[in-house]
Amino acid sequence: MTFFNSLTSGFNGGCAEAETQPTRRPHYEVNETAEGYDLTVSLPGVAKDGLEITDEGGELRITGKRTLKLPEGKVLLHRETSDAAFELLLSHGNTIVPEKTVADLRDGVLHVKLSKAESAKPRKIAVS
Amino acid sequence: MRFIQFTQPNGRVAAPSARFGGRLGAAGIENEIDWLFGAALNGLSGSARGGQFPVDLYEDKANLYARAELPGATRDAISVEFIDGSLSVQASRKEKTGTGETTVSFNRQVSIPDEIEADKVSAVYENGILTVTLPRKEEAKPRKINVSVN
Repeated sequence: MTFFNSLTSGFNGGCAEAETQPTRRPHYEVNETAEGYDLTVSLPGVAKDGLEITDEGGELRITGKRTLKLPEGKVLLHRETSDAAFELLLSHGNTIVPEKTVADLRDGVLHVKLSKAESAKPRKIAVS
Repeated sequence: MRFIQFTQPNGRVAAPSARFGGRLGAAGIENEIDWLFGAALNGLSGSARGGQFPVDLYEDKANLYARAELPGATRDAISVEFIDGSLSVQASRKEKTGTGETTVSFNRQVSIPDEIEADKVSAVYENGILTVTLPRKEEAKPRKINVSVN
């Protein structure tokens, strides 16, 4: 049984500390493997410099600031994207080993490999 | 069994019982709707998320620019065409499935009202964003005409 909870939503308008800078939840996917979890997050417009991944208190937080703003001297005609930063908060309840986390950002897609803690791996219990 | 839940980011309590915690307040209904849509969208399979993608349009004196969000697109499979006043962008992305890989296709057509130098259209793909530069034809550029007054 896996407890891997997402604790974030789209605009966090109700959050006092983030009221000035609304964030959006990116599209993401979590796949469980025998050794851990493969996390894929879509972060279009986010470069390596704007990406921050932290793990604290059993929660993995991914924030991505978009580097592409409207260039100066240009006039906007039509807008469908947003400048709002991405934020994803996933709760894993300390079932992963943060030191073994490997992350790779390529073409606006972040791949994170999370390793399961030994205690979280399935264990066969011998019955005497 | 996987247990996935969505709550507000300020819902710091990780316990499953906090599912509805922290989502009350002034923006309650908006968050509720967003939460529901978010939950539904994240539950979709990769192929179901194919199709259209967001596009911005902006301009300066010399060029028109189209900027499209295409995270994870296969570079070789990005196709940009400009035909008869219409910009067509096609792209695809490979996604891993349980057993192998699947290709998700995206396409979008945007009408460009201005006269464009079709053979000078260029595109750059960076950080999952495709930026297409469409240079205006000389006659379509704004021109200052000096009028001499006697």
